[in-house]
Amino acid sequence: MATPSDGSNIRRRSLFKAAGIGAAGIAGLPVIAACSDIESGGGSTQSTEGFDFLPTHKEYELPAQPDLVGEPPNHPSGFTSYPEPVDGVETAEAASTEFEITVPMWGTPPSADDPYFTAIQEAWGGTKVTLRHADGNTFAQTSVQWLQANEYGDAINMFGWMTDSHPNFQETVVNTFYDLTDIVKGDIADRWPLLAGEPTDSWGQSVWSTDPADPETARVFGVPQNKSMGPGNGMFVRTDLLADAGLSMPTTVEEVLEVARQWTDNAAGKWAFLAQDYVTPEWFGLASSPGWAYIDGKLVHNCERPEYTKWLEFRRTCWDEGLIHPDTPTGTLDGHALHIAGTILMSQDGISWWADYTNKVLSGEAVGAVAPIGAIGFEGAEPIRYVNKAVDGWTFFNKDLSEDQVKELLDLMNFCSAPYGTKEYELINYGVEGTHFAYGEDGLPVFNEAGTAAVGAAVSYKCMSGQVQTFLTGNPDVVQARFEYNASVKDFAETDIFAGLRVEGPADYKTAAQTLIDQQNDICYGRAELSSIPDMVETFLSSGGEAAREHFTNAYNQAQGN
Amino acid sequence: MAAIQTSSPPAASRAAARPIVKRKRTVGQRLRHDWPLLLMTVPALAQLALFFYWPSSWNIIAFMDYSPYRSFWENPFVGFAWFERLFADPYFVPALLNTLKYSFANLLFLFPLSIALALLMHSVVSTKLRSVFQSIVYLPYFFSWVLVVTIFVQVLGADGMVSNWLIGFGGDRLDIMSDPSTFTFLAWLQWAWKDAGWGMIIFLAALASINPSLYEAAAVDGASRWRRMWHITLPGIRPVIVLLLILHIGNILSVGFEQYQLQREAVGYQTTEVLDTFVYYRAIQTAQYSFGTAAGLFKGVIGLVLILVANKVAHRLGEQGIYQKS
Repeated sequence: MATPSDGSNIRRRSLFKAAGIGAAGIAGLPVIAACSDIESGGGSTQSTEGFDFLPTHKEYELPAQPDLVGEPPNHPSGFTSYPEPVDGVETAEAASTEFEITVPMWGTPPSADDPYFTAIQEAWGGTKVTLRHADGNTFAQTSVQWLQANEYGDAINMFGWMTDSHPNFQETVVNTFYDLTDIVKGDIADRWPLLAGEPTDSWGQSVWSTDPADPETARVFGVPQNKSMGPGNGMFVRTDLLADAGLSMPTTVEEVLEVARQWTDNAAGKWAFLAQDYVTPEWFGLASSPGWAYIDGKLVHNCERPEYTKWLEFRRTCWDEGLIHPDTPTGTLDGHALHIAGTILMSQDGISWWADYTNKVLSGEAVGAVAPIGAIGFEGAEPIRYVNKAVDGWTFFNKDLSEDQVKELLDLMNFCSAPYGTKEYELINYGVEGTHFAYGEDGLPVFNEAGTAAVGAAVSYKCMSGQVQTFLTGNPDVVQARFEYNASVKDFAETDIFAGLRVEGPADYKTAAQTLIDQQNDICYGRAELSSIPDMVETFLSSGGEAAREHFTNAYNQAQGN
Repeated sequence: MAAIQTSSPPAASRAAARPIVKRKRTVGQRLRHDWPLLLMTVPALAQLALFFYWPSSWNIIAFMDYSPYRSFWENPFVGFAWFERLFADPYFVPALLNTLKYSFANLLFLFPLSIALALLMHSVVSTKLRSVFQSIVYLPYFFSWVLVVTIFVQVLGADGMVSNWLIGFGGDRLDIMSDPSTFTFLAWLQWAWKDAGWGMIIFLAALASINPSLYEAAAVDGASRWRRMWHITLPGIRPVIVLLLILHIGNILSVGFEQYQLQREAVGYQTTEVLDTFVYYRAIQTAQYSFGTAAGLFKGVIGLVLILVANKVAHRLGEQGIYQKS
């Protein structure tokens, strides 16, 4: 590297000096300036009901009625037959606008040239939409950066659980997305009858406040997805393998452990479990996220309860006895593949794994059958079953769009809200007859190979906007089984103590919770002893948990009207 | 021994004999004279300004209670509050110690491995064999850490290829992927597989610059292969070794993120928490950007000091370092 010539006015040392003075100046600025305390990261509590600016609900007449009539919300009705589809949406005005929408995708994205997209574009009047299929496995984390950088196109389709990865989603929403209030408030049934038919509480859950402490700043920022009802996930058991081993479906936690011991064969590469983290807490009566329960007149965090120790004891026992796949902690295993291969007996998963597994069996990609364990308890305790509490997610529009563009996008959302039994629903969920599916003997659409790849495996438009009512649909056997399962667990559904609110904990609490999860993992995978639990709890409470109790108690009081 | 001068003296000697009175040129004159050169630096300056100096100037948020949704000047200054919080955080020191541990392990075990691989490659005569070997060794550098960790699980995991062989021979399963006590060794294996080949390429380039006639002369003088390596090869690439060493020392607090984050659950946070994961879990995940920037600034300042010290030491030892002595 050349040094400056003798004649140069700039020397390296001069540069260092200048840089040093500059750095000192920058560092000095804040010292000179009047300093204040750190105030950010306090958490928020957002009401999701009682608004007068939501779309006026107008009943939308369903094209077909379900033959299995349940008891919503936790026991939804279902269809075991496929109704003759009818038009659900009046033909839209011709439009030529182009939009780009980011959607999650698990697997290989379909080609943008697929006839599926052409058919939908024609059906809704010509608006061209390019879908950005982003990896679903990392969507939650990476969407944080896209949203901050305004690099998600004209709209983004997000599931509710993804927002947990966003450090302050309330602030993101009100600063990043289009405020829909003035467009959707009041009677919108003329132009968007299906959006008007969506449940009012779904729209209420699409409200965020610029200032959560000031109800006057509440506005509608998203188009709600379905409000799926009943259990959203479960511990799925390969019932065929269970029967082959002469075992029966466990009905208590003790039986789960016994079945796991009998089925596991380390030398043969067979283990009862893979991950256990988000389904097993309910077996011990622990609260679902955010992990607070109202006990003896105050809010108590899961980690403060004796059930927490029992839960960790159970998980540690499973690990110590080799009942869990030994590579589970690496987090790199394909749970679906292992479940299909019969390497693991039980797999915690979303409730859709039931239908997905059955479809794989029908297409010859898997054998046997799966079913979720019911509501079970430990040592005779009353079981609880986690159920969906809110809308599945939202589609948010970019705040830089014009009002006309937003209205056109709402036309598309209205199209996507078409319920079961309409031609629009069939097109969005099954594609084009002959190209993607054919009607089976029972009248149900059955995907061909192209349909499975382009339509069946992709989220695309399926979750863009909620339907006026959500039913159990699909394979009649699965629908029947799910209907019966929901009936059997509905009485054990967990009560949402924060109903009507969206509560986000303070930053310190989130950090403390992350540490708690890390320490839990240490115990579950044999790196720390159960005797360290009291220290863990003390650390959690002193580093943010105790302060969060006050935050969540205030929210609880608000939710209960105290 | 005095030499007979048969040609005119070199320019430097002439200058010494006949001093030139230099006229100091004005800035305008210099600009008129040097504008083509200055023009050529514009793209580089623009790139540096846009992607380095402008983002670097945002380090000032380490002294603010910053929110991206407020206008910049509405963010209150909080002095060194975030630094106080950083140094008081009970997880900061363990993360710093882990970072230093992995960084020094990388320096001690990977750096020499790259040099050894380069020397090995250099000694391979067959061009075809060298080409194949080179591709095999440095291809993993282009793999993502996700892929590297997944491959390691498939091979060395408790249900991986090696374990299943061991089971087949009546042995036990290998536990290296989830054993905190062997994680440094595992990390070294992963670095060696992923990065050693890339380091080798740089040293190979340095080796190519050594004059082959030196080897020929040494061989004629009867120098053994070992002697040639010791007295020609290593001195020949010493400036590059020192340069890379200094740059590595400057990056001593940056050991990467993905490798540790991906294996956090497998071996535990106490083993894998390094400064970058500390920032992610304690600052980014909770939107405390000022806190994360304070940690980043701490890393940057330490890195700068280490580079300057290492460079000074290099000069003292007679090496060129990252820039020449004035």
